[in-house]
Amino acid sequence: MDFDMTKPVPETQPWSEKFWEGAKEGKLLIQVCKDCKSKIFYPRKFCPECWSGNLGWIEATGKAKIFTFSTAYDMVEPKFTDELPYTIAYVDLDEGIRMMTRIVDCKPEDISIDMEVEVVFQERGGYFLPYFRPAGKK
Amino acid sequence: MSKGKIAIIGIGEVPTRNMPERTHWDIIYDTCMEAVRDSGLNKNDIEGAISVTPQAQPKIAAELSFGKLPEELGLKGCKDAVSVNAGGASTSNAIRLAEQWITSGIAKAVLVHHVTVHSTIPIPDLINFFARAGVDLQWEYPYGTTYNIIMGLMANRYIKETGCKPEEMASVVTALRSWAAKDPNSFFYGKEVPSVEKVLASALLNTPLHKRESNVLGDGGSAMVIVSAEDAKKMKRPAAYKLGDSVRYFSGTCVMRDFYKVTEGFIVTAKEAMAQAGITKEDVSLWNCYLAYPLAHPLIAELLEVAPQGMGGKYFLEGRMSFGGDIPWSSIGDAPGRGHTGSGVSAATYVETARQLMGKAGERQVRNCKYVYQNAGGGSGFNNIATIWGKEI
Repeated sequence: MDFDMTKPVPETQPWSEKFWEGAKEGKLLIQVCKDCKSKIFYPRKFCPECWSGNLGWIEATGKAKIFTFSTAYDMVEPKFTDELPYTIAYVDLDEGIRMMTRIVDCKPEDISIDMEVEVVFQERGGYFLPYFRPAGKK
Repeated sequence: MSKGKIAIIGIGEVPTRNMPERTHWDIIYDTCMEAVRDSGLNKNDIEGAISVTPQAQPKIAAELSFGKLPEELGLKGCKDAVSVNAGGASTSNAIRLAEQWITSGIAKAVLVHHVTVHSTIPIPDLINFFARAGVDLQWEYPYGTTYNIIMGLMANRYIKETGCKPEEMASVVTALRSWAAKDPNSFFYGKEVPSVEKVLASALLNTPLHKRESNVLGDGGSAMVIVSAEDAKKMKRPAAYKLGDSVRYFSGTCVMRDFYKVTEGFIVTAKEAMAQAGITKEDVSLWNCYLAYPLAHPLIAELLEVAPQGMGGKYFLEGRMSFGGDIPWSSIGDAPGRGHTGSGVSAATYVETARQLMGKAGERQVRNCKYVYQNAGGGSGFNNIATIWGKEI
């Protein structure tokens, strides 16, 4: 069987490119609305709260807590099987943003909900995906 | 809003199986002709045809959306044909469109149907389709997520908040399969019902989801004929009357889905649909829930106040939602029991709702079935649609 084994990279939009440029420099950027002061994730063309186009960016601390997680052992796309087992999580950033990520640099059995984590970037096809690892881990 | 305007008066269905020799059009002929015959109408009485769009099957989806169905079946009185696509919420919207056609005078009788043939789709295409559909391609897909993982994320949070035990979660599969084992249209008809121990002994796919808590893809199809409530009453035939309809949108992207907004949405839609129907939860004879995966069932049982908070899993483990239990629940066994036919599981669930209210469910017939709660949702759970159906108006 002919499976496409290409690892996927983020399918970006013009207004999200800044996020990925920041990630390349090791910065986790959050889009903000300069008019209504909303923090926006994921990045949009216009503020989803007030429809303002007056948008900017702030750098997040990179600190977060795990809201939930699931560790995959099987039945993922063939292009990801070489990475098994891996843990997908929703993390809540200190800035009030929730994002999907992977938890790395620890054993799956050591991962728990509410665990404190920090961002660490991993390269894939020229993009630097924000992953998270246990806080304070070197 | 919707009380008593339409009724399902005819149903048709083929068994869910992997049968590559059974083509899309084989299934369409068999299900649609059975539904029209069951309604007591002539094929030329059908004035509108609505297809639930098959997912990952572009050829048949194009044929149906470009109007081939009435011509193929010789529906000489048909005034219009269309396809509807909202993932697992497609059938709910097809029924709403049928209601609009009927109440506005466009059509007196509308045929709604679904067909899916997974077994002829190349496996790499099938895997790729279900890996990407309903998953954000920028913010989720690159991390290697899947539908199974999305369900795992939800289930792990639920377990954390409620203390639901693995055996309670696993018992949902036992309950759903107990219904499926009695359903001739199920993939698992006549098959052994797996015990809780057997479910938990199956391979762990992703925490906390075991292989037997996932879905088997299958081919299948179903159809229904819908007329005005007034016409259904005049025909003096068994019918399922639509009495209530409520919906809330959550989010298209999984990670944007606020868990508390979702739980609130399930509660509110049930209450609104029941209020429209003029009933309370005590009046519901069958909770026909379509959730696609077993892990969400305990939570939904609690949100619908069928089980007290934190007791959803315990109720399943006690067998209360199983075939023969005191709380009739998902009587085709939802997708884990029926076999997953893409958007077709919700179509099959509506057909089952009608079948139960018409008194045609055979061994699975719920005694004195008078009112049915049925929900549906699309994509990876972007919305929840709650409907109430009744035996009489």
